[in-house]
Amino acid sequence: MFLALKEMSRAKTRFGLLVAAIALLVFLILFQQSLQNGLITGFVGAIRNQNAPVLVYSVDGQRVVQGSIITPDLEAELRGVDEIGEVGRLGQGTFTGLPTRAEITFDTTIIGYELGADGEGLGAPRELVDGRYPTAELEAVASTGGDFEFAVGDTVVLQPGGFTVEVVGLADDIQLNVAPTLFTSYDTWSSAVQSVNPDAGPPLPNVMVVAPADGVTDGQLVDAINARSLEFDALTRADAAAETPGVSQVQQSFRLIFLLYGLVVPCVTGLFFLIVTFQKANSLTLLRAIGAPASRLVASLLIQVVLIIGAGLFVGTALYYPVSQLRLGGLSLRYESGAVVFWTVLLLVLGIASALVAARRVLRIDPIEATTGAGVGI
Amino acid sequence: MNLALKELRRRPGRFATATLIITLIAILLMFLGSLLDGLIRSSTGAIRAQDVDAIVYSSTAQASFPRSRLDVDVRMQVESLDGVTEVGGIGLVQLGARVPGNGPRDLANVALFGYEIAPKGVPEPPADGQAYADEVLEVDGVEEGMTILLGPARTPVEVIGFVSDTSFNGQGGLWTSEATWRSTLSENRPDAQLADGVWQALVVRGDAELAERIDAATDGATDSYTVADAVNAIPGVEEQQGTFNQIIGVTIAVALVVIGLFFALLTVERLSLYGVLKALGAKSLTIFGGLLVQAVVVTLIASTVAGILVILLDVVIPPGSIPIYVSAGSILSSAALLLLAAAVGCSFSLRRVLSVDPASAIGTTS
Amino acid sequence: MNALELSDVRKIYTMGDGSDVVALDHATLTVADDEIVALVGPSGSGKTTLCSIAGGILSATEGRIVVGGEDISDYGDKQLTKFRQEAVGFVFQSVNLVPFLNAKENLTVVDELGKRTGKAAQQRADQLLEELGLADRKKNLPGQLSGGQRQRVAIGRALMNDPKLVLFDEPTSALDTELGEQVMELIRTEMKQRGISAIVVTHDERITQFCDRSVNIIDGHLAA
Repeated sequence: MFLALKEMSRAKTRFGLLVAAIALLVFLILFQQSLQNGLITGFVGAIRNQNAPVLVYSVDGQRVVQGSIITPDLEAELRGVDEIGEVGRLGQGTFTGLPTRAEITFDTTIIGYELGADGEGLGAPRELVDGRYPTAELEAVASTGGDFEFAVGDTVVLQPGGFTVEVVGLADDIQLNVAPTLFTSYDTWSSAVQSVNPDAGPPLPNVMVVAPADGVTDGQLVDAINARSLEFDALTRADAAAETPGVSQVQQSFRLIFLLYGLVVPCVTGLFFLIVTFQKANSLTLLRAIGAPASRLVASLLIQVVLIIGAGLFVGTALYYPVSQLRLGGLSLRYESGAVVFWTVLLLVLGIASALVAARRVLRIDPIEATTGAGVGI
Repeated sequence: MNLALKELRRRPGRFATATLIITLIAILLMFLGSLLDGLIRSSTGAIRAQDVDAIVYSSTAQASFPRSRLDVDVRMQVESLDGVTEVGGIGLVQLGARVPGNGPRDLANVALFGYEIAPKGVPEPPADGQAYADEVLEVDGVEEGMTILLGPARTPVEVIGFVSDTSFNGQGGLWTSEATWRSTLSENRPDAQLADGVWQALVVRGDAELAERIDAATDGATDSYTVADAVNAIPGVEEQQGTFNQIIGVTIAVALVVIGLFFALLTVERLSLYGVLKALGAKSLTIFGGLLVQAVVVTLIASTVAGILVILLDVVIPPGSIPIYVSAGSILSSAALLLLAAAVGCSFSLRRVLSVDPASAIGTTS
Repeated sequence: MNALELSDVRKIYTMGDGSDVVALDHATLTVADDEIVALVGPSGSGKTTLCSIAGGILSATEGRIVVGGEDISDYGDKQLTKFRQEAVGFVFQSVNLVPFLNAKENLTVVDELGKRTGKAAQQRADQLLEELGLADRKKNLPGQLSGGQRQRVAIGRALMNDPKLVLFDEPTSALDTELGEQVMELIRTEMKQRGISAIVVTHDERITQFCDRSVNIIDGHLAA
């Protein structure tokens, strides 16, 4: 420990630059982790966090809620599937909304579902953080975060037409398409659509939400529905979220990005410690000659690696924390403590592994070289 | 400089690891840049292609086609405005298309546009029932002469030719006559159908400053943009650009620090050599110049390797899985940024080089 | 014209704690044209300091320094750099050849750092290596040469710019007795052949037989 710390304190610039490089990389990795999760939640949070285990799109919808339309024939066909325990309609529309507390308008998504007895019908948000579920027309559960922070009691006026909805409850992570989202009764949604476009008749539902009958699994229900007609595209809730166009692209893109960033960190650490080991070859040989065990020198090296990466992780995470509280154009970022733990462990392990190359050189030092002056050599 | 280049040639191993790291960073930069380009391109092609001076939406539409409707009165107001030479309607419907030869659940995503004024690279509106398709749809199996079926109503449309860079919202553009668009819309999206003469948006040709004057003339019923502004108004575009550019910026900073670190280490190792060179009469700037040359060469090699790998990546990645658009421009600009970072990173060592005392070459100084 | 004239040269260092150390005190020395002078003294005597000042590597605190007729007493850094390129040759204690340049390139590097005569330098390097018996080692890197051969390359480098004065700093300290004598023979032959003056800094009395005269230095003072 003594050797490790003394050396670092005498070469602050070098070690400082290394810590800076690692800190920036850690910051980038964690920030993008938040970005990825924020994007995915912002896009498909509403799908992931509503209570129906299975969603049925029309195949033409290409797994996009707004692109899917369930005709009356299709709906009748679906209701005939034996494995179904419960079924409901879901309608979705994007509107221009003006919350009465706000001064500018926002894109507002409305998702209408069949309320049932207590407002918790199929398709309702799974969990509320404030207020209650809608039990009547013109009431809504609103998403938290995003461009506008709804509060219970807010009203939203749709434009044009002036159709008004009141917020009676709040839920986390229920956005669709990165827009403030309101879950209302199906009829409320239907009226909203007609209010902004007088040319249109009553809209058709976009998606059917389904729960399996007793003894039937979600997977079995999906298979049964898809087998019933080629017009159906049934998916479990998780699959529906994952297979929304754009989501898998986002995930694959980020996967590649993380791989590259993740590789850079151990490479930089490994290179640094290899070069530094060469540079102090003479001192290391001298220490070995006067009786320092090789294991002590290696331990000193590894202590430095842990301290440096630890410092980089600390600074990087400290930079990340305030940024993770930001809102980026409708996306609410979040501090991902799981990601912090994951990357801390991974980068420490990779960093130590990368320093083993330098450690090997240290172990190969022959103390006799102190007298001949050969050192570690290049 | 010769000295610096000779060292690179004779001792490549010493520079190899640093070159590898900078190559990784260069790949990252180029990939990020290509990803941003690809995302923007596939979101905004149809708008960028508009060969007009203003695009007009209804004021409550938030620049979104499906939410916008402009009726005949508004159009007449726009047409009668001073300085306006031409007005055309434009409308959009986004549907899944059944392509002959593809599986029953394997639909192509299309953005069907009805238009009056032809965008750049798109011919005049075709006959009813026909369309020009964006070449990205070729990946989905669309061919010239083929009839594809749109939406749940299976509206048939014959593809009579291809155009390029007209995607919208990640979907391939399909360019048709007004009548085809209206009938497709009403058959497949009855809740969004529009009466004759009503368009979702108008495109306008005329003199400058058109956008503000149109909104004033319609008394706030419209929300008009230049083409560039309309591109930025597409949801997500500005945020994507902003976020990506920030990430790219920080990555450049990382490159700068890594290169600076590597050359700082190298400098420390060569202090005695620099002492000798200075004793022989080398100027500090000559020595630093050599360092700079090495940094530039290493970065050039890294950028070249990275550029080749990114191009290969583009070829190897299945189309549609990761939306990158690799262009010479984005690769070259990433390389240029990296070279700048190399030069700046190198300058961390300047002070050290300047302070080397030639007397250090001669034994001790006492 | 004398190769070197030092008149009343002093070099004072201020230490970290504010105290002054006089490394060279009122040194006066003349080296005639075509003369080889041994500068002998123990470690810390100031011989390296004197050598550095004569070679334009260090500036003196006081005194006059004239090398080959050129008064460098008040030269700034830039002028000293140019002076070193053109007028002086050095052979350092630890040889200090550039490890990644071959023998010939270690000679031509002087030209590249200075006047850049191109082809003329190439020819001169070839000639010098021939005279030093290293013609067949032109393309060898220092790591491939023996200690004595490396020393000869260093001498060749020192002679490249046709200097007025060559400074040898402990040229034999890393060599055994026999090899050391061979190197000193070579130094004497080469200097005399070309009529170049030299100062050989050493703590080894055995070397002085190869020089025209010795000057002793202790604690910064030159013996009379």
